[in-house]
Amino acid sequence: MANFALGIDIGGTFTDIVVYDAVRGTSAAHKELTTPEAPHRGVISGIQKLFGAESIACKDVSRVVHATTLFTNALIERKGAPTGLITTAGFRDTLELRREHKYELYNLFMELPRPLVRRSLRLEVPERIGPDGKVELPLDVDALLAAAAKLKAEGVTSLAVAFLHAYANATHEAQAREVIQARHPELFVSLSSEVAPQIREYERTSTTVANAYIKPLADSYLDLMSREIAGLGIKAPLFMMLSNGGLTHIDEAKRVPIQLLESGPAAGALAGSTFGLRSKARDVLAFDMGGTTAKLAMVEGGAPLIAYQFEAGRQQRFMEGSGLPINISTIELIEIGAGGGSIATIDALGLLKVGPESAGAAPGPACYQRGGTAPTVTDANLVLGYLDAATFAGGTVPIDAALACAAIEPLAKQSKLSIEETAWGIHSVVNENMAAAARVHVAERGHHAGDFALLATGGGGPLHGCEVARRLGIQRVICPPSAGVASALGLLMAPARIDRVATVACRLGDMNWRAFENAYVKLEREAGAVITKTVAKRAKVTVVRSADMRFVGQGFELVVALPAGPYHTNAKRSATALREAFTAVYGKTFGHVPPVGEIEIINIRVAVSAQVAAGELKVASGKRGGVNALKGKRKAWVGARGRFELLPVYDRYRLAIGAAVRGPAIVEEDSTTLILPPGAVAKVERSGNIVVLL
Amino acid sequence: MKFNAVTLEMLWTRLISIVDEAAAALVRTSFSTIVRESNDFACVLTDARGRSLAQATDSIPSFIGTVPRTIRHFLNEFPADTLEPGDVLITNDIWLGTGHLPDITCAKPIFLGKKLVGFAGSVAHSPDIGGKMRSADAREVFEEGLQIPVMKVIRRGKIDDTFERFVRKNVRVPDQVMGDLWAQFTALHLIESRVLTVLVEHKLNSLADLADEIHRRSEAAMRAAIREVPNGVYRHSAVCDGFEKPIELKMAMAVNDDSIAIDFAGSAAQGPRSINVCLAYTNAYTSYGVKAVLSPNIPNNEGVLRPITITAPEGSIVNSTPPAAGGARALMGHFLPMMVITALAQAMPKKVIATVGSPLWCINLSGVKRDGKSFTNLFFMNGGFGAAHDRDGANVLSWPSNISSTPVEMIEQLSPLRVKHRRLRTGTGGRGQYRGGTGQEIAFENRGETPITVAFLAERTRAETAAAGIAGGEPGTPGEVLINGARVDPKVQHVVAAGGTMELKTPGGGGYGMPASRDTALIDADRLDGYVSYGSETGHG
Repeated sequence: MANFALGIDIGGTFTDIVVYDAVRGTSAAHKELTTPEAPHRGVISGIQKLFGAESIACKDVSRVVHATTLFTNALIERKGAPTGLITTAGFRDTLELRREHKYELYNLFMELPRPLVRRSLRLEVPERIGPDGKVELPLDVDALLAAAAKLKAEGVTSLAVAFLHAYANATHEAQAREVIQARHPELFVSLSSEVAPQIREYERTSTTVANAYIKPLADSYLDLMSREIAGLGIKAPLFMMLSNGGLTHIDEAKRVPIQLLESGPAAGALAGSTFGLRSKARDVLAFDMGGTTAKLAMVEGGAPLIAYQFEAGRQQRFMEGSGLPINISTIELIEIGAGGGSIATIDALGLLKVGPESAGAAPGPACYQRGGTAPTVTDANLVLGYLDAATFAGGTVPIDAALACAAIEPLAKQSKLSIEETAWGIHSVVNENMAAAARVHVAERGHHAGDFALLATGGGGPLHGCEVARRLGIQRVICPPSAGVASALGLLMAPARIDRVATVACRLGDMNWRAFENAYVKLEREAGAVITKTVAKRAKVTVVRSADMRFVGQGFELVVALPAGPYHTNAKRSATALREAFTAVYGKTFGHVPPVGEIEIINIRVAVSAQVAAGELKVASGKRGGVNALKGKRKAWVGARGRFELLPVYDRYRLAIGAAVRGPAIVEEDSTTLILPPGAVAKVERSGNIVVLL
Repeated sequence: MKFNAVTLEMLWTRLISIVDEAAAALVRTSFSTIVRESNDFACVLTDARGRSLAQATDSIPSFIGTVPRTIRHFLNEFPADTLEPGDVLITNDIWLGTGHLPDITCAKPIFLGKKLVGFAGSVAHSPDIGGKMRSADAREVFEEGLQIPVMKVIRRGKIDDTFERFVRKNVRVPDQVMGDLWAQFTALHLIESRVLTVLVEHKLNSLADLADEIHRRSEAAMRAAIREVPNGVYRHSAVCDGFEKPIELKMAMAVNDDSIAIDFAGSAAQGPRSINVCLAYTNAYTSYGVKAVLSPNIPNNEGVLRPITITAPEGSIVNSTPPAAGGARALMGHFLPMMVITALAQAMPKKVIATVGSPLWCINLSGVKRDGKSFTNLFFMNGGFGAAHDRDGANVLSWPSNISSTPVEMIEQLSPLRVKHRRLRTGTGGRGQYRGGTGQEIAFENRGETPITVAFLAERTRAETAAAGIAGGEPGTPGEVLINGARVDPKVQHVVAAGGTMELKTPGGGGYGMPASRDTALIDADRLDGYVSYGSETGHG
């Protein structure tokens, strides 16, 4: 019987549709331009085209998984719903006071992110809960209703409610929602105790407000998309990709849509981990270099790393601290201002700088002949012979090397280098920028970059991957096939996964182990209920407990995976186990455990997941032997030798499984080019991956 | 070795990423609230002579240039031939270091084989240093805590037990203090090992040539920036709250082609309170003001500072001599960058801002809990930012330091206090074409069963010290400190009984340009959001 899984990934420019044939283990993909005004249109037409071409019947689809950047864009472009905020009396300005610090020290003209809710739409009601969860002042229901009515009259359609210490006792917030919805059933209500039940009122309020801001949009969009897909005759329910790399059903997605924010990148990181595993690499840096940015995700032990806070809607894209804090679990990912369009300049100190400014798609690199004159990374790559004007982007984009040289010439003059040396400088500096960001990012998590394999995707990944790897001390670079739709393929590999968090704020020494165990059990039940609604009954469910722990007095917590419970049956053993788990992670992260200190647990977390994919995914792999893959030769710069050499150029599609290519050499495919330095050996694996040993 | 635009860029980026990585490790491992919430620390790499090559990007301005200078003092006492691999040097001497005792500077010599090639240095604000609780009324440095002379705290990898015992005996939270020192040692070790990797990778046997090149280029860029300022002498004086009466600071800034000479002659004499500023701190904050206006993007190093000379009469409040106390030096020091910026207002009106409602404020509590254990807490808050030629000042922002507030929920978890409100102090931004940022007001109640002792750092609480406006802009509203509803002197300790209340109201920032020129749309928005007081004469206050 036919059985297909369908993945839909809506990005800023393209909508990727992939379909996986669970019976034959093969996949097919289609790219459609994104239709921002009505995103479902691009999706429906893409599905129809792909299914038509592959002769797939809609009724044979058993699973649909969807990721989208729609909600991230709504935050960046400030196009969410008119939102109001109701807080504890005395604290409506929490959202605007932030944490009072600057993200740039020397800039007197720094722009702070504007709050999503202006002051006139932030109202207060008398109520008070203490830090221990005790009610100190009952909720003033009349004041609450008056505030809701006032906000509604101002045109608000979505409300955030964030009371002090609601993480410790949610009853006032729950009561608030009940009362408001009884009077105003049409208002959307988001509660801080549901969206981000963690201590620290600014971050919790910020997350809740962002959730409220996109909630009406998410609600109508998810309903519409479900209907449209069902309208095609697809009976399978629509699942959404969450930022944590898991998927869930529509109701959970609608309940707390802020969890969907990073669904696209999460799918990309998952794809990275899967392609890595196919080459038996369990620790992988998934490096995706495109036109404007490079993204880097860490995969450890076959699974992408998870972070528990990130920023949305940054005032300055690459500046940490310039955005709105969002406390949800999300794939750990950094974005670096380094891409093919990154512009090279000579700064006030006479140094060659590359990025983060980008020529973007318009006007694009100088060589695109669209009026751009600024020298970019792509221009440098063309001058160095890494790109071929004749075959660039499969011959769809005409490029001109003379324009690239002309753009680079002024930099060469200023820095007293030849044009080729300057081009190599641009190529090297952008590589060092990416390597530096990766080095710090990996080290901050207690690892050494050299222990990882680099998985290179995107148009620029294979072009720069070997050089970036060399700078990081990495020996193995993996180039998967079909890198262009890798992210969408990740959707089909995702497990169902639900994360839950609660604040306990308790010292290990004073622990009430029964209450602690019960707190975990409660979270596991909640998360488990969502999972069982998502997966088939026989699926194997995995539960992982973790906790945010620190030495008493510290302000940063480490998230520590804990042994399974129950904990209350043997308090002493549990205390020892938790202490050891914490000090092990501490030692690994910081290299040294101070000989001091009591330990406290701030938040507890559970992750419940279950595998939903059936069978191993196969991706179009290389054709077997026979054909000569050598296309020809071209002059390209060999950095290690500081000169141009005539290098062999291979056609990736014609390389046989098991074929080996020795560097220096060039391997071309439609969307990218792999540059092999001297000494490197590339092998085509049965999985379709090309694995380069440096 | 010769460096070009590419090789230097790559090496330099690499060195900065090393100190940034060390900074990240230091922040994450430290126990001190002020280190982690406020970046009150620095990590620095110097060459073998103590000349800085790279400083962590996020270190706050108080440490510009201080660590390399302290390292040169280390070298005076422990010349290169007395240093060995695995040694770590230490001091908190306020005249050799940063100007107050809680800042502990450490440095580790970096050896390539047997050759000393540089120093990994760091300074961080310790959770406690003993002595009198942080307030402005210490009379001599001896009252302010433990003084650590220049010494080897670690010899060839082994910590000095006597040192540790002395420190533990002298501070209130010994585990946290030692924990933070270990955090510094970890950061130094990290810098050392990463730098050695780079040296080997790039086949360098010294950092000296690299330092020369970095300094040469940085100096040239700074000189080029100074040439943009018309020659002349720019003067400014500032009035601070002081104690019985206000204290005046005077500055003359002589711009001569590509160099700047700043002198503080005429400023008040040092006094028997802890607001005296050592020259190192005067240097750091004055340089910060110059850099923020002229060259915000040049990384911090020796070369940037070369074109700038800063002098102050010995024994003045901005160049104090022993045994002057300096624990609350920020109350004076935070005025310095604003003086530079205001002095440049006429010459470069679009590169400056109106006066900020700084210095930072804090409340420091101590008491005994019901179980007999003593506790101390320190919480920070900030005032409004100054307006610029094209925008309002931010409502409540830390400047020139970068100190975060502590979440209310954390305050209530950590202390016997309840926070009654924490809100914008509306109507306090100075009027102008662009409005100054508002301050904030935060009210506490002592919910404990015992009295608590309270000290504050608070400034700009007099009418004559309000944050000034520029180009016709008006000053922001000065701050206030109230106990049980009555204004009190914030510079002395107070005792607040169980059930008593305290309220801190921080100053607003100054406005920019004539109030009459303010756009009506902005006035309407201010009214709607209540950033100004209703009913004020012109409708915006």
